[in-house]
Amino acid sequence: MMRLRIGFVLIAMVLSFFGARLVQLQGMDPKSYAAMAAAEGSARLTLEAERGDILDRNGVPLADSIRGKMVIADPVLTAGTAPDLARLLSDRLSIDYFKTLDALRGRKTGSRFEYVARRVPSTLASDTLDELEADGFEGISLEDDPIRDYPAGDVAANLIGYMGTDEPLGGFERTFDKQLAGTDGLATWQSTSGKGVRIPLRESTLKEPRDGTPLRTTIDGDLQWFTQKVLAQAVRQYRAKSASAAVMDTRTGEVLAFADVPTFDANDPTAPGVKADDRVSRGMTDTYEPGSVEKVLTVSSLIDAGKAFPRQKFKVPPDLARQDRVIGDWFDHGNIRLTLAGIIAKSSNIGTVLAADAFSPPQLVEYLKKFGLGQRTNVGVSGETPGILTPGDQMTSQTKDRVAFGQSLSVNVLQMTAAVNTIANKGVRVSPSLISGSAVTDEGQTVGTDTTTRTRVVSKEAARGTAKMMERVLDPEDGVAPGAAVPGYLVAGKTGTAQRVDPDCGCYDGSTTVSFGGFAPADDARFTVYVVVHAPGVDGGGGSIAGPVFSRIMGYVLGRYGVEPTNGTPSRLPVEW
Amino acid sequence: MSSPVLQPRTRVSRLAQEAVDKARLTVVPRVRSRAPRVPFVTLVSLVLVGGIVGLLLFNTSMQQASFSASALQTEADTLAAREQTLRMELDDLRNPQRVAEQAQSMGMVIPAAPVFLDLRTGKTTGVRTPSTPDQSIQLEPPAPPKPAILAPAPTVVEVPAPTTTDPTTTTEADTQATAGADSKPQKNKQARKNRNR
Repeated sequence: MMRLRIGFVLIAMVLSFFGARLVQLQGMDPKSYAAMAAAEGSARLTLEAERGDILDRNGVPLADSIRGKMVIADPVLTAGTAPDLARLLSDRLSIDYFKTLDALRGRKTGSRFEYVARRVPSTLASDTLDELEADGFEGISLEDDPIRDYPAGDVAANLIGYMGTDEPLGGFERTFDKQLAGTDGLATWQSTSGKGVRIPLRESTLKEPRDGTPLRTTIDGDLQWFTQKVLAQAVRQYRAKSASAAVMDTRTGEVLAFADVPTFDANDPTAPGVKADDRVSRGMTDTYEPGSVEKVLTVSSLIDAGKAFPRQKFKVPPDLARQDRVIGDWFDHGNIRLTLAGIIAKSSNIGTVLAADAFSPPQLVEYLKKFGLGQRTNVGVSGETPGILTPGDQMTSQTKDRVAFGQSLSVNVLQMTAAVNTIANKGVRVSPSLISGSAVTDEGQTVGTDTTTRTRVVSKEAARGTAKMMERVLDPEDGVAPGAAVPGYLVAGKTGTAQRVDPDCGCYDGSTTVSFGGFAPADDARFTVYVVVHAPGVDGGGGSIAGPVFSRIMGYVLGRYGVEPTNGTPSRLPVEW
Repeated sequence: MSSPVLQPRTRVSRLAQEAVDKARLTVVPRVRSRAPRVPFVTLVSLVLVGGIVGLLLFNTSMQQASFSASALQTEADTLAAREQTLRMELDDLRNPQRVAEQAQSMGMVIPAAPVFLDLRTGKTTGVRTPSTPDQSIQLEPPAPPKPAILAPAPTVVEVPAPTTTDPTTTTEADTQATAGADSKPQKNKQARKNRNR
């Protein structure tokens, strides 16, 4: 009887322990235990979405994503064999031996996760890992780490931008990151060994990754490369500070090339000698005074308003005293008799000011606004400057005089290209684009060829007359830029030489910005090319420095797109009377 | 309400009682089952064993399939990575810079202006301009000048002109000069190599 009682008591005690444990498990914090149970033997894997390519107009990738791996060390396992392992890894992966050694020994005590290398091509990484495992090393593992590759290096690097370790740091990569990045997927499953082989018929989920959408630009890769090379050569030859050039399809407004020099290799954006300024598109973010190229806008506006005509006669004095200062020309002359065409061909400031006297400041500003000056082109380049154009009602007549020949206002390269293109496109301004189709920027703005707008700025006759006058600029005898001619073609263009403003003091620093903008064939324009060279170290103007660069680029683009000479009659407008 | 229902029921049970009392009960002979039990038991056991073994085999084959699935997945990943690496190499080969370097080393020059040839008439349009080597574009910026310590001025040793006009001597001198000229670029190459390191 006694034995039975003791037995019951013992059983009751054991059962009450079980009961207490049950209450503890189920009553106190059941969820954390359930989660621990689920985590035991379950595996999850983030499925990286592939970043969308950035393509040129022909579908050739300018930026490309390929699979890569990060090599990770667990110092607890690797510290013992660190020197041998580091030698092998640094040999195979071409990485620094001492940094590898540090990683393998653990940069912090007790660390169990150290990056050995990042963005290693997948095949190389797995081959190396196989070799390590064959040699009996342990503690090295691989994780997905996509690589961004720029196959053409510096081609259009200033527009495309580049990637940091984990995020885009500039250009289209950053502006269109939402579209390019895609959405990562996730897979979870029950597994025998944490990862790897899944247990069949056990719970598993799969959320497929959504890859990024490719971004197609209007850039022509080969032409962009050529433009950059020619421009870089000019910068070296003339010891200039920097230069930009743009090539635009006259009819569609598509920008075929937009080059900035100095540039950088997008695969190595932090290479020694690359300044922060070199990594942005200077042509879009920096303003400068356009100089005499702007005269074609003034003159075509005057013709459109019926206030001037190409053969109109002007008496141009050696200098022109205006309210506060004297306006002079770049060349010394006495009293000369120039036609309006002659004023353009010889690039006379005084002549332009005299012609522009027919305009009040608001009238001139209204036209310049319609040409797109003073407002952003909104092509998808972040940090674009709108330039500076004083509103017409606040503009003094002295400022207007200077604006008429391209000083006291500032622009960016694409604005000016689109403005010159308006003359080429028979007076209709086509809004420029850098993106084929459409894309949404990080600021929520839709840009691209789908949003192209066309607005008439000047009449067809005014544009035609201006183009005829611009042809005279390249005349070997009467013009100032014979070096810009393309053999066999009728080319219209205009030189520009302007004083540069030093951003530190806000004053003219004595250096110049020389430029050349033009189009060909002049009687049926297909392409507009605009070249700007900042602060050349040699004496020269738009005709002698930017002109030959223009000629080279224009000759190449005409041949590349198979535009035959039109055999039109060259302009015979008189320059003098 | 309850009484009309109750009455018939009592009557029925009374009648049933009488019938039971009157009935004669006899013993029914027990029917002996002749069907053998063994086949049935065997069948059931076979179904059971078959089911269990089948399930085991099924499970094993699924496990096997899972192994081969993950092996195939790994292989597919490797091949996809290989394809991408090859595509990257292809893109690198297509790099205009590389193509231009090859073309220029073969003596090709990008012309200043295009000329078109009509294959039907055999006539050209455009102005034919000669393309000269000085039109070729600089593909790489020139190397920065070396500091003086690395590029010392060449040592010039004046050798007195040979006085004899013996043809053999001249030939020998020529050969020596050629040899000298040959060895010089090699030295330069060596120097460049060193600098690159």
